[in-house]
Amino acid sequence: MRMLATLLTALSLWALPAVAQSNGPLRIEITEGVIEPLPYAVPDFVSDNSAGADFGRRIARVIASDLSGTGLFREIPNEAHISRITSFESPVQYADWKAINAQALITGAVSVDNAGKLVVRFRIYDVFSGQELGSGLQFVGTQEGWRRMAHKVADQVYTRITGEGGYFDSRVVFVGESGPKDKRAKRLAIMDYDGANVSYLTDSSSIVLAPRFSPTGDRVLYTSYETGFPRIYVLDVASVGRRALETQPGTMSFAPRFGPDGRTVVYSLTQNGNSDIFRMDINSGASARLTDAPSIETAPSFSPDGSQIVFESDRSGTPQLYVMSANGGEARRISFGQGRYGTPVWSPRGDLIAFTKQSKGRFHIGVMRTDGSEERLLTASFLDEGPTWAPNGRVIMFTRETQGPQGQASLYSVDITGRNLKQVQTSTGASDPSWSPLQN
Amino acid sequence: MNTGQIISGAGHLALIGWALIGGVFRSDPLPFEVTEVTAISTEEYAALLARDSAPEAVASIDTPEPPAPGDLAPDLSSAADAPPEVTQPEANDSPPPDAAPDVSQMTPPDPAEVTDAPPVLDVPQEDMAAMVPEVSPRPQPRPAPRVAPEAVAPPEPDVRIDDVANPEVAPDQGAEVVEEPAEATALEEAATEIVTEAEKLEQAAPSVSMRPKARPARATEATQEAPKPAPEPTPQKPATDKAAVNDALAAALGGAQQNNDRPSGPPLTSGEKDALRVAVQQCWNVGSLSSDALRTTVVVAVSMGEDGKPNNGSIRMLSASGGGDTAAKQAFEAARRAIIRCGARGFDLPVEKYDSWRDIEMTFNPEKMRIK
Repeated sequence: MRMLATLLTALSLWALPAVAQSNGPLRIEITEGVIEPLPYAVPDFVSDNSAGADFGRRIARVIASDLSGTGLFREIPNEAHISRITSFESPVQYADWKAINAQALITGAVSVDNAGKLVVRFRIYDVFSGQELGSGLQFVGTQEGWRRMAHKVADQVYTRITGEGGYFDSRVVFVGESGPKDKRAKRLAIMDYDGANVSYLTDSSSIVLAPRFSPTGDRVLYTSYETGFPRIYVLDVASVGRRALETQPGTMSFAPRFGPDGRTVVYSLTQNGNSDIFRMDINSGASARLTDAPSIETAPSFSPDGSQIVFESDRSGTPQLYVMSANGGEARRISFGQGRYGTPVWSPRGDLIAFTKQSKGRFHIGVMRTDGSEERLLTASFLDEGPTWAPNGRVIMFTRETQGPQGQASLYSVDITGRNLKQVQTSTGASDPSWSPLQN
Repeated sequence: MNTGQIISGAGHLALIGWALIGGVFRSDPLPFEVTEVTAISTEEYAALLARDSAPEAVASIDTPEPPAPGDLAPDLSSAADAPPEVTQPEANDSPPPDAAPDVSQMTPPDPAEVTDAPPVLDVPQEDMAAMVPEVSPRPQPRPAPRVAPEAVAPPEPDVRIDDVANPEVAPDQGAEVVEEPAEATALEEAATEIVTEAEKLEQAAPSVSMRPKARPARATEATQEAPKPAPEPTPQKPATDKAAVNDALAAALGGAQQNNDRPSGPPLTSGEKDALRVAVQQCWNVGSLSSDALRTTVVVAVSMGEDGKPNNGSIRMLSASGGGDTAAKQAFEAARRAIIRCGARGFDLPVEKYDSWRDIEMTFNPEKMRIK
């Protein structure tokens, strides 16, 4: 009898999960999906008054350009729309948007208020689930700033659909280049991330190199040959005022970059033929040596938390990437592939390091994890160099130069997956881009 | 001494004497051929060769006769040949137009046949594994703007892109049953993974490191699922020991007893479940998800109608793991869009097994999509 009870208990325990499972729902696991641009529609924003009519169309076009330019979204053109948005407040006819496979719909209204300010309102809809994504928002700004307001709307759409921060309301400082290769005039220029609104920050009387934005986007560090030797300057973007950083006489300083606190600057300094990395408090001018090796150490870049610095060194015989504490000390090599590595830049998200790689006669822009693993080359050309990160750490902009005496430098951008490689439109040659943070 | 010994001794002496006198031990040399040769010097040999290869002197040469000064030059006029006669086809002799093809018997082609899908490699026997090189060159993937589990070749330019590939259906005048005319559709071009510019230019053999190993073949997944038992429910009821033993045995052995309270057909086969999974994954677009959302696995519940269409209002997130709240929200929204979009026409599920799929829990695990 006791044996029978034991057997019964054992069998019941064995059988229980099967019974429970049979009563439950059907379970399936989806592990394979697709990666394709998400189709969306952005009809012209309606205007509440006649003054806003033209803005409504232009703002919708800039939003579409921003979203489609990421490669993550695909616009369904206005001609294909079945429904027309005539009022911002009227309910959305989801069936009409489903019929053209628009998965997201952006509607908006533009008006000019009594003070002459532009007022932009918008809503985002998830068409297939038939509901609004988040709640509507409103921006108020000057009429001249209409492009920025369009970028802000696009940033919101991007964030609500992807869950990541946007990067459209940002700027890029770069070196504008004109003239033949052997006599090229260079000057600092600044533009919107998409190439619009270019203005120049310096004249072309002396060679300028490697501008770098401050973490707040209000200042730019750059290297100038004004005195005949490379020297670091800091420039205020709004006033275009500038000053040289204090350095010891008889030295050359270059490759500066701000730390995340906006006060600390790391840079390379060459003294007696040897280059090492230094850091300086930009306010007090106090500097400290971070490396002390007979090899060349250059191109330092802070991690976003300010605790580490990645840099380039040829201490092993060829240029490779190393990571050390922000206060100096022992450095850890992180690049081990074939070829030469340079210009490392830490992602604003902290997870990746972008770099330039020269291998087998070609240049690449690539990314690797901060420990050097999962290296992935994104581009390949005659000359690609100088990566800079978009504020959300999803896109990289860099310089691509074509071959030959007529070779021209231009700016390109690529997604960190390697997709969506495209040229950034600039009116002149352009190199050495540095991407600003999102504007306030 | 007897007679025999005398005879033997005499015989032996006679034999020895014969051998000595008869010349048995005489050794004449064996006969052999002798050929006489003459040694010559290198110069003599060269002279011999030169004499052999020297061409024969030609005694007489026929020289052509020079043309007589009075001969006429050949006519070199370049008048064009007369055009060949071409008979003009009669204008009204045009062939009759081809009859429209009878498409009523046509079956849609198997989509797998028109794809660029990489060849399916047979899994080698276990004892053969040592012979297979661990690092084999991957087939170079072809870049495409869309990344999907199956590679799809670029469709014809004038073919509409759809979720399923269908041939064009034209009305057939002669047919008894007039087919509804339908536009040809094709699957959108797709690659199985993202191909960067650098990868496009590289050799097939990787220079730095291997990519993660290929995902297991679909057939393997199916077989993994197949053994899952789907026994019918057996209520636990107080009973005598014997009855309880019987019940427990029945439940453990796969549910031979049916639960009469709730009529239900047989469970879905693994093939039917696979078809549902494939249908949903075609619409599960993770391209616009953040990297956090791509680390988030969400379990989504949905109630289905008997027509195979999901009840959109019933779609809800049961759980999420691997990411924050925002990431879980984005991941859930992508999953919801997949169910609604691909379920809009109704999933192809057997209605007689409705009870098996009335409620579905789908786990969306993007782990494999992160490395594409």
